[in-house]
Amino acid sequence: MNFPFWKADEALLLDGAMGTMLQQRGMKAGVQPELLNLSDPEMIASVHRDYLEAGSRVLYANTFGANAHKLRKSGKSVREIISAGIAIAKGAASGYSAAVALDIGPLGELLEPMGTLSFEDAYELFREMAVAGAESGADLVVIETMTDLYEAKAALLAVKENTNLPVFVTMSFDETGRTFTGCTVASMARTLEGLGADAVGLNCSTGPDRMAPLLRELSENTRLPVVAKPNAGLPDPVTGQYDMGPEDFAATLADCLPYAPIVGGCCGTSPDYIRRLRETLAQRKLHANAVLLPPFVCTPVAPCTVDGVRVIGERINPTGKKRFQQALLENDLDYILDVAVKQEDAGADILDVNVGFPGVDEVAMLPRVVKKLQSAVSLPLQLDSSNPDALEAGLRVYNGKAAVNSVNGNQESIERILPVVRKYGAAVVGLTLDKNGIPQMAEQRIAIAERILNAALSYGIPKEDVWIDCLTLTVSAQQEQAVETLKAVRYVREVLGLQTVLGVSNISFGLPNRGLIARTFLTQAMQCGLTLPIINPNQQEMMDAVTAYRVLSGEDAQCRAYIARFADAAPITQAVATPGTSATIQDAIIKGLQSEAAKLARAALHDNAQLPQDNPELYIVERELIPALDRVGEAYEQGKAFLPQLLSAAQAAQAVFEVLRESLAERGGASVQKGEIILATVQGDIHDIGKNIVKTVLENYGYRVLDLGRDVPPETIVNATIERNIRLVGLSALMTTTLPAMEETVRQLKRLPSPPVIIVGGAVVTPEYAAHMGADYYAKDAKASAEIARKVLE
Amino acid sequence: MELVKEVLRFLGAGQSAPESLRRETEALLSGLQKRVKPRYVYRLFPLRRENGAVYPQGAPFVLQGESVRLMLEDCDAAFLLLCTLGAAFESAFRAMEARDMAKAAILDACGSALTEAGCDAAERELSARCPGRFLTDRFSPGYGDIPLSLQADICGALDASRRLGVCVTDSMTLNPRKSVTAIVGVANRPQRARVRGCAYCSMKETCALRKSGANCQI
Repeated sequence: MNFPFWKADEALLLDGAMGTMLQQRGMKAGVQPELLNLSDPEMIASVHRDYLEAGSRVLYANTFGANAHKLRKSGKSVREIISAGIAIAKGAASGYSAAVALDIGPLGELLEPMGTLSFEDAYELFREMAVAGAESGADLVVIETMTDLYEAKAALLAVKENTNLPVFVTMSFDETGRTFTGCTVASMARTLEGLGADAVGLNCSTGPDRMAPLLRELSENTRLPVVAKPNAGLPDPVTGQYDMGPEDFAATLADCLPYAPIVGGCCGTSPDYIRRLRETLAQRKLHANAVLLPPFVCTPVAPCTVDGVRVIGERINPTGKKRFQQALLENDLDYILDVAVKQEDAGADILDVNVGFPGVDEVAMLPRVVKKLQSAVSLPLQLDSSNPDALEAGLRVYNGKAAVNSVNGNQESIERILPVVRKYGAAVVGLTLDKNGIPQMAEQRIAIAERILNAALSYGIPKEDVWIDCLTLTVSAQQEQAVETLKAVRYVREVLGLQTVLGVSNISFGLPNRGLIARTFLTQAMQCGLTLPIINPNQQEMMDAVTAYRVLSGEDAQCRAYIARFADAAPITQAVATPGTSATIQDAIIKGLQSEAAKLARAALHDNAQLPQDNPELYIVERELIPALDRVGEAYEQGKAFLPQLLSAAQAAQAVFEVLRESLAERGGASVQKGEIILATVQGDIHDIGKNIVKTVLENYGYRVLDLGRDVPPETIVNATIERNIRLVGLSALMTTTLPAMEETVRQLKRLPSPPVIIVGGAVVTPEYAAHMGADYYAKDAKASAEIARKVLE
Repeated sequence: MELVKEVLRFLGAGQSAPESLRRETEALLSGLQKRVKPRYVYRLFPLRRENGAVYPQGAPFVLQGESVRLMLEDCDAAFLLLCTLGAAFESAFRAMEARDMAKAAILDACGSALTEAGCDAAERELSARCPGRFLTDRFSPGYGDIPLSLQADICGALDASRRLGVCVTDSMTLNPRKSVTAIVGVANRPQRARVRGCAYCSMKETCALRKSGANCQI
């Protein structure tokens, strides 16, 4: 790290709280502190001077909230606030050996998927701050008080890509070891180190006593210097006063020095705390932080340390799957999410994500799929592509530390893939093939593995991030190759000490009883050192083999996971469903029995003598599915069934639809579709459960729903309506404050040359208000929406 | 199992809920309670009155309107309170929405009930902090003529973003969704209940339960 006034073997003393000091100097509550950079620079300078006198070697400039979002009502620009803030701090620091940091705090608005601020917009807000800070002469950047790893990543990328300054990132954890968004210490450390932070740490939230164990944990998960900037204890809930004095604070924090050499104070601290800290620090010695990091990928909430067998799910891949291909071509991300959800629930540890298919723009699709998956699946992802641009686009928006599948021994592949892997701190799978193809002998594959490892190291990718795939070949075609693959796996694992990946399923192509061969090969391979099998986790016997192997290898301590899997093998029941067997598809739907309904539909199609030959799928929709939904709908109307039952039936219908879609995709027929409907929650509104309920029901009446999401501007709805020539638009609003946005959307839609029919609904909408704003229909619930859709579209 | 009843009421089922729905609700609620705890922060503000308006001292905003005047009539101080299920609930809910919309609808109602329960717990704590004094009913922006914009002021005064990770959107919605801001007045004599019942509720014009002729019995 190129950082003035500091040697890495010394403790580095930061400053203490700014806000607390400004309040003591009479800053009025509710004032945005950054505006004082212009209105009262002397007040800010005096705080800086007090900290310098107390011994601070780094001043955090008064720029914490100086982003365009928070300043939007102030009439001041980011540039003027930041350049004034940096100038004040630099003025104060002249004559002292102290550096000035551009301070970047959270934006004050939640990022997607929790909020509606996009990653790209967040990046832009941070970029503006970083550029202003660098141009104003900041010596370093501190990104602090982050609770969302995604937001921290946006800020860090913005700083790294637009300045050459060193950058510290600190986040706020509560004493359970999680941030408000559920991020773990390990996920934070590994992700931010991978992205190129110069130091990582913790600030705010708790006092040094409660922070201490987390600081130790952090130091065990990073090679970087660790920063500690705790509060002066905890605030009294009535008075807001913090409960830890300077002496206790300094003594407790000094005990953390061996693993956190960069220290200062956050809320409630003052120059007295820093002075006391300096005196205590003078008596302490530091040790170098020499940690050995295990192989690791993560999302914020799901750290995955590869210290045993970790299953990579293979199902998000269009190869040989017509239904998946259709979903990709139709932009049906809900289908892809469903494939992911099933694998997570089946016990996968990591999901491989491959969306490459002719006709699909992979560079645009991969990041969209990554965002969609991360909205509802917690598992780490392995982005699977040979297109470096697609990989970069996907890695950029990925929240956490991902894996990349793959690089190979070709120089061109190495030069194109590894820089992207390095930049985003991903792990990478190296395929043991090169321009001459797949070598026949294990020794040659090992040589390629070594070449990939050395190349990765030369790019600055640490050894634990290099995973090797020794390649599975089909045993029925090249029988001698299975043994060579296993030999190479053993060497790479034992001698090179790397993690090993294998796509296991390939082994059994062309043979009867494929499952037996695949499972046996999987077991052999794990015994030889395979740690990352790529398999279909929905195949129970494959997961059974992994579960058993983990017992025999000693990984599953006290056989807990094994016992949990097999001792408690109760059948999975449906939500709110009445158990029992159902003779007809209709019965199964009404009872909400998803798998039963799907099974019956499959059987009906298979044995379709009773069905019209030209379109058996449509027949099932009209004779079974719709009448069933109507019957449940009637019961709901009459107060004999309730919302969850209505939805359960809808989902069972969805399962039937899925069977019909598969059948149609196989025959190459057109989809069962009765018209396309746009649904959106209006601008400003983030409550979308009502809209999602309507979506579930409409889809199961056979309509295709184009779901524009929540907080949707009128223009977006208008454009989508024109683009797809939509005849029915449904709008939802929950808050009184967002009704004007609904009204505006209706107004814009009705101005179109051929306006669509508009349904409105949501908690605050009434039939009168619907009429007043010019909507065609008011729907009081999802059932009513379906009836209106039928009237309009059929 | 009061909470289960409350959830069923939110779902419009109440006493007539079938056994399967009740069981499902119990399972989801207890699973949720293991993963998500309501958290709250509050602060006590002495009140200052000027020209009929009520000012929490040290906070940069005024409590306006008839409802506040009535509620805080006897009070010389008031607690500002924020309670939230936080991002943990939102993640659990999104994960469920992707799996099973029926369960997600139940989970959403569980979240609402759990947030209310968190507010109740906070209120008991406030009460314990003021021995010999009397608290008013808890009331929130949106109640009576209290503007929703007060949500932003309360969050600002409680440093909500830093202390609980709660943000206020431009349309005055709290995010994460399962969050509540509230005011509880402190007085020297017993306070009568004023807030309960449809007549006082800001949803009275649009409430789905009222539209169907029922009420939420709060």
